[in-house]
Amino acid sequence: MNARNALLGLLLAGLSAAAVADEPAGMAFRVAKVVSMDRSETVHNDAIVLVQGGRITQIGKPGEVTIPEGFTRHEHPEAWLVPGLIDCHNHTAGTLSDLNDMIYQTNPGLNTRAAIEPENDNIKEARTGGVTSVLLIPGSGTNMSGFGTISKTGGKTPDEVIVRSPGSLKIAQSGNPEWYFGGNSRRFMNWNTRQTLLKAKAYHEAWEAFEQGETTVEPAHNPIFEDFRGLFRKEYPASVHTQAYQVLLTTVDMLSLQLGIWTVLDHCTFDAWKVGPIVAASDCWTINGPRQYQFDRTAARMIGNASGWWKNGVRKLGINTDAPVVPQRELSYQATMACWYGWQPYPALKGVTSIPAEALGVYDRVGSIEAGKDADFGIWTGNPLDPRSACLKTIVDGKVVYDAAKSIRRF
Amino acid sequence: MTRMLTLGVALLAAALPAVGQVAPERVALTGVRILPISGPAIDKGTILIERGRIAAVGEDVEVPFDARVFELDGRTVMPGLIDVHTWRGMDQPNETRPVTPQLDVYDAIDPSQLFFEDSLRLGVTAIHVMPGDNTVVGGLGRVVRPIGRTLGEMTIAPGSFLKLAVAPKGGFDRMMQMSTLREAFAKLSDELGKLAEARYEEDRKEKDEPVDVVPDEARKRGVKLIRVEDLTDETRNLLRLTGGAVTVGDETGEPLLDPLGAFVHCARAMDVAPAIQIARDNGFFDRLVLVLGPECFKAIPELKKAARPVVLVGDLTHRETDPLTGKVRETFVPRKYADAGLMFSLLPGPSSSLPERMLTYQAARCVRGGVGRDVALRAITSHPAETLGLGDQLGSIEVGRAAHLVVFTGDPLDFNSVVERVFIDGIPAYDRARDVRLQRLLSFQETNAEETPE
Repeated sequence: MNARNALLGLLLAGLSAAAVADEPAGMAFRVAKVVSMDRSETVHNDAIVLVQGGRITQIGKPGEVTIPEGFTRHEHPEAWLVPGLIDCHNHTAGTLSDLNDMIYQTNPGLNTRAAIEPENDNIKEARTGGVTSVLLIPGSGTNMSGFGTISKTGGKTPDEVIVRSPGSLKIAQSGNPEWYFGGNSRRFMNWNTRQTLLKAKAYHEAWEAFEQGETTVEPAHNPIFEDFRGLFRKEYPASVHTQAYQVLLTTVDMLSLQLGIWTVLDHCTFDAWKVGPIVAASDCWTINGPRQYQFDRTAARMIGNASGWWKNGVRKLGINTDAPVVPQRELSYQATMACWYGWQPYPALKGVTSIPAEALGVYDRVGSIEAGKDADFGIWTGNPLDPRSACLKTIVDGKVVYDAAKSIRRF
Repeated sequence: MTRMLTLGVALLAAALPAVGQVAPERVALTGVRILPISGPAIDKGTILIERGRIAAVGEDVEVPFDARVFELDGRTVMPGLIDVHTWRGMDQPNETRPVTPQLDVYDAIDPSQLFFEDSLRLGVTAIHVMPGDNTVVGGLGRVVRPIGRTLGEMTIAPGSFLKLAVAPKGGFDRMMQMSTLREAFAKLSDELGKLAEARYEEDRKEKDEPVDVVPDEARKRGVKLIRVEDLTDETRNLLRLTGGAVTVGDETGEPLLDPLGAFVHCARAMDVAPAIQIARDNGFFDRLVLVLGPECFKAIPELKKAARPVVLVGDLTHRETDPLTGKVRETFVPRKYADAGLMFSLLPGPSSSLPERMLTYQAARCVRGGVGRDVALRAITSHPAETLGLGDQLGSIEVGRAAHLVVFTGDPLDFNSVVERVFIDGIPAYDRARDVRLQRLLSFQETNAEETPE
């Protein structure tokens, strides 16, 4: 983590401490089931979850947990408590006019950090579906549209909501950026994207050599490539808009295998699942969506994308909405669709909670219900993947940011 | 759902056969009529393959006990067909920008495209994927087999030819085209000069000696100091095309780059002379392949003098209407090249016509048009192999060659014959009896027939 991030962390800690002073001592949630998504995949039945200072402090049976005095009690004895849903692919940082700055075919110097508008309508809507963290990324108008930001869906200022900046580097391999500059083919785009990354890598390596004393000549500072240093140190991944067979193959080959970049494959639609065995053998994360099915012309059948990936051995598999393409609050429904087309409910629920957290490298803070982690979760009437279920409350950083009973249903 | 996926995987398996699996170490094709291309036909013989290469061919070949034997009595075996020049298999043929020597079809070939499966079904075992004709300098091609999940598995030979066009790109006229082409080479020379000068100056600085020569002289002296890592992809590929006109290498002057050839597109006879000239001027005449449109046969005297391999694109029949009399004159183009003794390769036809997609059909048309049968068969096998510099690997059935073999039910030029099996590097890559997609197509027709009212 670089100095700026560390500073940001301090700022965040300071802010949340200040906020807690005005809050009640803590909260206690009495629920029928906690699907924890911790490493041992514990499911707590009839449990109490205690929250204090924005964190989860304790999970246990009603008889075993003592609720401290002054804690607000949330009694939902028939409800499920599920980790806040996480989406690796969201374009609703601010207004849609901030989606793409189409200056060059690759735009390495940009960052959505500059465009974040907390509490915008799309983010408020996300909370109604139990979504608590999203990776806000720029669009796919060009091959490289800048760095994204991992952000909470609750909080008033950018500093309050940001989990990590940069969250990831957005790359669009193909399938959109070719329309820019009047129709470049994959030959040019892939060559050009590789060139930009090689330049960035050379920049990083020159600085590494200088910092480790291998040379005394200080390299020229270039703010455009500064954020790539963390990328090549594997502090954060590249989120790649990639979909059809050859396009996905190129992403795995170029980014993961040749350049050694921590790679999150986003979309992964059409017939890309056929690359499954190659992806499964790589370090890549696969985040499927928004399309959940493909009409396979040769088989004359509907093929479930997530199911295709799963059956071809891919286990680091999650789901996205590409919000606002599919509204962010329907992330759970995206997972439902994945199951309708052949995937299984438990891995699908992981695919919108712990898997995206791990894919983005923030599982130490979010993505599961464990003592010490951020108090980010949803209270659901049942399994979030059951389309009959509703989210009753959404809690972000230990604060109720959505309460179905109190909110006027805006969406 | 399970059934759906099984089917999906089955279709995928049909499209991308068992490359990941280990091919049988020894394969024998027995009882077959063999057309070796490089020699006379053998009426009934055996081909033995060992570790992907042809180990024995003849009437009396002993089959080892452990060979995987295919008893193919009555079938005809010929070398795998070669598609020597196509942009298919990529997302699009051309770039909008005119000069792109830095690009490689590696970045665009899609192993999952039906084109490869169709090629395999028609007996093509090697495909030279190249940038399209609508370009000035189009970048590197690559020779691939139509099987494999990745480019690594598919590749027979990475790019050894650049695509160039003398025929004007869309929006260009011929003067603009040639000027842009010359400019690309002028830029190369300028780029190398700058690099040489910079390296020379750096060298003097390291030795604590003053730069006491004019830039022109520094550029000459610094040539040997240029390192491979100084070169951009553009410079490197064009430099490779000029093939050592400048020695690039370490201090011993050892060349570190392989030379490249060029496939140069000529649409009309008037393009042929400039194409030959630009190749001579820039040191790649010995590695020049001319891609010729139908009307180019009118330049046969120049082509004969150049004696370089040619590839025939477009219609095999050239039609011209006399503007005064309205009389139509037809020329069967390949006959002209055959009569001139030029080494020509045929391509699948440009139209969506189903038969023209078959190289065997194109060869059969040549026979009908008066080209010798042997020459017609060579035009889809050994000629393209030699054109690609792979004559010692592909294009004929000889001991030591890669086992690229096509099994036809009858004579390959008989239109009633179909491809029954294909072997690529000894891998049983295609079996008509297990061609899921073809069976679907055929069963569909049969179902329709049943539904016809009585």
